[in-house]
Amino acid sequence: MATRKRRWAVALTGAAALLVSGCGSLGADEVESVAATFAGAEDDPAARCQLLAANVVEALVEGEGASCEDAIADLPVGSGDVTAVEVWGEEAQARLTDDTVFLTRTADGWKVTAAACRSQGAGLPYTCQVEGS
Amino acid sequence: MSGVRRFLRENSLSLGFGALFLLSLVGQAFAGVADLNDQRVSDGLDPITLGRFLTSSSFAVDVMENWQSEYLQFFLYIFATVWLIQRGSAESKKLEEAGTESDEKQRVGAHAKRDSPPAVKAGGWRTAVFSRSLGLLMGTLFLLTWASSSVAGWAAFNSDQLGSHEDPVTWLGYLGHADFWNRTLQNWQSEMLAVGSMAIFTVYLRQRGSPESKPVGAPHAVTGQTG
Repeated sequence: MATRKRRWAVALTGAAALLVSGCGSLGADEVESVAATFAGAEDDPAARCQLLAANVVEALVEGEGASCEDAIADLPVGSGDVTAVEVWGEEAQARLTDDTVFLTRTADGWKVTAAACRSQGAGLPYTCQVEGS
Repeated sequence: MSGVRRFLRENSLSLGFGALFLLSLVGQAFAGVADLNDQRVSDGLDPITLGRFLTSSSFAVDVMENWQSEYLQFFLYIFATVWLIQRGSAESKKLEEAGTESDEKQRVGAHAKRDSPPAVKAGGWRTAVFSRSLGLLMGTLFLLTWASSSVAGWAAFNSDQLGSHEDPVTWLGYLGHADFWNRTLQNWQSEMLAVGSMAIFTVYLRQRGSPESKPVGAPHAVTGQTG
């Protein structure tokens, strides 16, 4: 997994720097767990909505003019396995076999801030059908 | 005068700046977490605690990018002032003294005195290293803090990347990124400006009693005098 490679790179660059930068992979396991639960809840839109960040739920409801459960059920959110996790500070990215999901750390644990994302190429942001406004 | 009071008085320069440094760092921590949380709340994200901020890459890079430039400033200044001179400046040696100067003037080799540091009386590599120890330490601290700045900046950059739904980059990729060089050069330029300004200002301006200034009555053209 990419996270392990990054651990080595950080260690080589300097343990002291790592200590102060707080950029370690703390939370990678939690992110992987949340992303896997989110992806695996293909037939349970309510469970997916519970894992969304509050501003994403708000945007979905407003944008689709429907409940969160109805809105997310109609969107192409991935359901594949988690293949890689990146955690940087309060933000994280989980790559699925069929999607890329972004998460943020909240008081209630990691929440999904974007899903159904497609890459637009290097150096460009993903376009995501599920995201906050 | 009691022992403590004497100690405080005789070390007031380093103690005073040490205290100001700590106060400033504490102030930066509180201002930094407030600023970051303002941004996070406006982005619809939860605020983070002070403890979490203090271990974050965001705080680390803001600290390290300033430290590295300060140590670079002193490293360059220490080495540059061996060779470069400024006529009339309190920060410069006399015009004819440019260079590493004679053993006699530097009190090394056969000219070492009884009260010279042990590394000077030892001769050989110990004297060679000690003769450059100030610059070497500053240079080493610069490299360490610059490397730390690059790692902390990389982490902060990648956090921002993920926050805006972009892929993170490798450390080498970050070293070639505009964000790293913008953070680095914006600090370097201010340090070079400060040193250059000081070198020129002390030609024409005075601060009575300061060792960083020439004596008030010293002529503008006199170089290398301090008050």
